[in-house]
Amino acid sequence: MTKETYLHDKHIKLGAKMVDFAGWHMPVQYTSIIEEHKTVRENVGLFDVSHMGEVFVSGKDSLDYLNSIVPQDITKLNFGKAVYCQLTNKNGGLIDDLIIYKLGINDYLVICNASRIDEDLNWMVRNKRGFDVKIDNQSHNYSLLAVQGPKAELVLKDMGYDTNQESFSIKAGTVCEMKVLVSRTGYTGEDGFEILVENEHSEVLWDKILEYGKNYNIKPIGLGARDTLRLEAALHLYGNDLDENTTPVEAGLSWSIPKEKQADYNGKDVILNQIQNGVEKRLIGLKMLDKSIARHEYDVYFEGEKIGTVTSGGPSPILGYNIAMAYVKNIKNICIGSTVQVMIREKLHDAEVVKRPFVQKRNKIKM
Amino acid sequence: MSFTEKILCSKSHEYLLDNGDNTYTIGLTDYAIEQLGDIVFLELPEVGQEFSKGDTFATIESVKAASEIYLPISGKIIEINEELTDAPEKLNEDCYEQGWLVKIEATGDESEQNDLMEYEDYKEELE
Repeated sequence: MTKETYLHDKHIKLGAKMVDFAGWHMPVQYTSIIEEHKTVRENVGLFDVSHMGEVFVSGKDSLDYLNSIVPQDITKLNFGKAVYCQLTNKNGGLIDDLIIYKLGINDYLVICNASRIDEDLNWMVRNKRGFDVKIDNQSHNYSLLAVQGPKAELVLKDMGYDTNQESFSIKAGTVCEMKVLVSRTGYTGEDGFEILVENEHSEVLWDKILEYGKNYNIKPIGLGARDTLRLEAALHLYGNDLDENTTPVEAGLSWSIPKEKQADYNGKDVILNQIQNGVEKRLIGLKMLDKSIARHEYDVYFEGEKIGTVTSGGPSPILGYNIAMAYVKNIKNICIGSTVQVMIREKLHDAEVVKRPFVQKRNKIKM
Repeated sequence: MSFTEKILCSKSHEYLLDNGDNTYTIGLTDYAIEQLGDIVFLELPEVGQEFSKGDTFATIESVKAASEIYLPISGKIIEINEELTDAPEKLNEDCYEQGWLVKIEATGDESEQNDLMEYEDYKEELE
């Protein structure tokens, strides 16, 4: 049975093209992916991301417990702050990538991918061992609305929300008299907010955001543009760029892993060893040098030899050329500026290795 | 007669326009373009290439995915719409008058058209 968010009827009424995604019937686009993409980069867009998972972790051992399942140091996570994390297995492979929020002493919120919620819960329960924690999946009770773009802050301000909060922070607040949890996070490479609201209020909140956003040319944005936006920002998509056989180090996520963390966690030996001694495969960014598009699972070649595989690829509406991410063998000769080839319909096409992110995060609009 | 009244459509959403001199114009239906969304890439064959009915003769890519385009009848490519390979996004505006893909000279039997539908019937089939 395909699941529907509480905003499903809104999407249908707005004329969205719907697709099945991770077991959910979701809007892929309302008008045009390219148009929606530019709206988020230039103004502000509204996303229904209620398919994502919300798991509350509480209990007297919640800190030690969370610290034992992610490479990040949760002891350093302050109240009201959020941290990008990975859920790793014993080999350092990725079960999922997550954001963990500290809501209070012994009170945490874990937001995870819709496609991985079952695996995550399974793994989290299996790793409870002797810890005194409560793992409470509340995904079915909450809707998640993302307001993203340089003008996101202006929309929320107009709605009576005090937007004075840092990136990667979360606080309880009121938006149009509705009690919500607002975090300054997103998946677009823009400034923005994600608003967690009880299902029963989600339709009103959706309408209010569109109403207040009118002044800033807000548009509803589908999963199609969500994908092109996150690709330009070189944000990983689980299932494409991350999987159980790939470690955070291979995925280029070492920046998120503290080297001095005391506590043990799943895959720590593998991960630290890779940070110190290097990896056999690594993630690179590619810019296609012709009009062809490298897509998921296309092969990458270097000097006639197959060296890897594209994990995500597509057009960049902002840059005007096609971009991709790929895992390749860690060969010294391949660095920024190198030319590799992508096999597309039995022909090799040149691509330049470029820095990630493809599009730099821009500062929010100054008031 | 409007354009769509003159064409025959395949189940895989290509159309065939009879030019009367054993040559045909081939394109994609508005339904196909609508389903694909923003078109960002188009690869057409070379003039002179020959294909059988059902062969992949071109590739079209939307933002999200690449799709193959099949020739609705056997034929030899006699002209390609080069303007479109430079600006494939024009297909989103018009896939008929300006947005045809290739012209072919038929090499097969007319019975190859038996499984093609008139536009109205094709539309009905979609519902």
